[in-house]
Amino acid sequence: MTAARTGWLLVLPALLLLAALTVYPVAYGIWISFFSKHSFFPEQQFVGLGNYAAVLADEEFWRSLELGLIYSLTTIALQLVIGVAAALLLNEAFPGRGLARAVSIFPYVVPTVVAVIIWKWLLNSQFGLVNYLLGIPVSWMGRDWIMVSLIIVSVWQFFPFVLLAVLARLQTIPPELYEAATVDGAGAWRRFVHVTLPQLQSVLFVVVLLRSIWMFTKFDTPWLMIQGGGAETYIRTLPIYTYQRTFAYYEAGRGSAMAVIMFLMLVAAAALYFHFWRREEQL
Amino acid sequence: MKRGILFSGVSVLLFFTAFPFAWMTATAFKRSHEIFTTPPTLLPESLTLENVARLFEQTRFAVYLGNSVLVATCTVLLTLAIATPAAYALTRFRFRGREAISAAVLFTYMFAPIMVIIPFYVLMRTLELTNTRAGLVLAYTAFCLPFALWLLRTFFQSIPLDLEEAALVDGASRPRAVLYVVLPLALPGVVATGTFTFILAWNDYIFARVLLAADELKTLPVGIADLYNASVVDWGMIMSAGMLVLLPVLAVFVFIQKYLVAGWGSGGIKG
Repeated sequence: MTAARTGWLLVLPALLLLAALTVYPVAYGIWISFFSKHSFFPEQQFVGLGNYAAVLADEEFWRSLELGLIYSLTTIALQLVIGVAAALLLNEAFPGRGLARAVSIFPYVVPTVVAVIIWKWLLNSQFGLVNYLLGIPVSWMGRDWIMVSLIIVSVWQFFPFVLLAVLARLQTIPPELYEAATVDGAGAWRRFVHVTLPQLQSVLFVVVLLRSIWMFTKFDTPWLMIQGGGAETYIRTLPIYTYQRTFAYYEAGRGSAMAVIMFLMLVAAAALYFHFWRREEQL
Repeated sequence: MKRGILFSGVSVLLFFTAFPFAWMTATAFKRSHEIFTTPPTLLPESLTLENVARLFEQTRFAVYLGNSVLVATCTVLLTLAIATPAAYALTRFRFRGREAISAAVLFTYMFAPIMVIIPFYVLMRTLELTNTRAGLVLAYTAFCLPFALWLLRTFFQSIPLDLEEAALVDGASRPRAVLYVVLPLALPGVVATGTFTFILAWNDYIFARVLLAADELKTLPVGIADLYNASVVDWGMIMSAGMLVLLPVLAVFVFIQKYLVAGWGSGGIKG
């Protein structure tokens, strides 16, 4: 048996599984977005671009897009600030640093349902610790505050990703760069701006890309925040609305059209992002 | 001055990340009346296991736990069984399409569940795999596979080719060379990849929510979410459930956190 054939044989099961359970569903999803299709029954009827037209004419869709953008942009910005600050702190030498690092990244590996119930308990309007400390009964799950609560939980859960990526990069910056800057008389802030930030540029590029994709398509955190009486319509982001169209209204075709639109928006945003990044680099 | 900033910064950071867990644990061990007292007590006056007992006696927590263990374990085994030979082949054999496969794997890695869940559900329904644990295992395996392949590939790349070539020259067959030379060196990578897969399967909510309907098949995240929704929230019981779900995660986290801090595999949990 030739090496090439052995290679193919070993890769084959993985490829078949990916083809059957990832590539095929994605293609099939695009296909059923052109049909009026019930989520549970096999009947379907071709409607062309009907689903897309219905989605674009739906006010709720635009509202959910707006909420989704507010949610993802805010959480990404906060994750970046907190994640980079935390990485800078945890890159310094101090006793117990290893443990501090482990504790700081732990929220990232916690099941979302646990993150949500912990914060729902902390933010409980009647018996929650936060309201006790504030001394005023803020209705954290009510219409005015639920987006803020959702953002708090999400940032808490996902900033460690930024922390991890940045910390790993910081560890590889040659100390000589800082020594040279210090000799030249640069203070801490100028060392950060002129030495650290340029070195972090490439890792931040990837981090922003991944976080944008994952926050814009985040389903479980907002969904679980709504459960058990939240002001649902005030955090109904695009992924939530897509899910409801499919599994509450049983419109699999229209749900798929929304998923496709979500994907196209991500591709467009990513293309723009790469474009501006290249231009920056050329300057 | 600088020590002062560092100290206060780290303190705030640790308080922010760790306090919610401490509060959950304290609540889990408090008696019902103490949970709602004003002012709240930081530590339980007396430790009680009544919340945990209620969880096992009055709910199907033990059933959910069994399902979670079974599904996560099967996912790890199946993912490793498929990904390990594939990753080995991607680093050791030259064949057409090798680079294309690697690129495609990275691309599928960026997919979020919500973008594939609808057609995936329809497909599983056609195959009559909805409402089965096997269907869930397949879903998780497909979802974990790209990342597992990617991690294992970097691990195999770090193992020098000379070692197995020496074994082959000495007359060992390739399977023997792999078994006795390559696998022992790759073992930490295989275990780490298995750990990431475990966490992903253990933590997932959306696939289990969509694919399972029967209560006796539910995994822990869905089971707990439904307990929370069922009626007036029993905070002591819910917090003890949260605490128990976290224990296995904490146990495996101790093992993988050194990889995470080294900047390796932080995308594994993918969230």
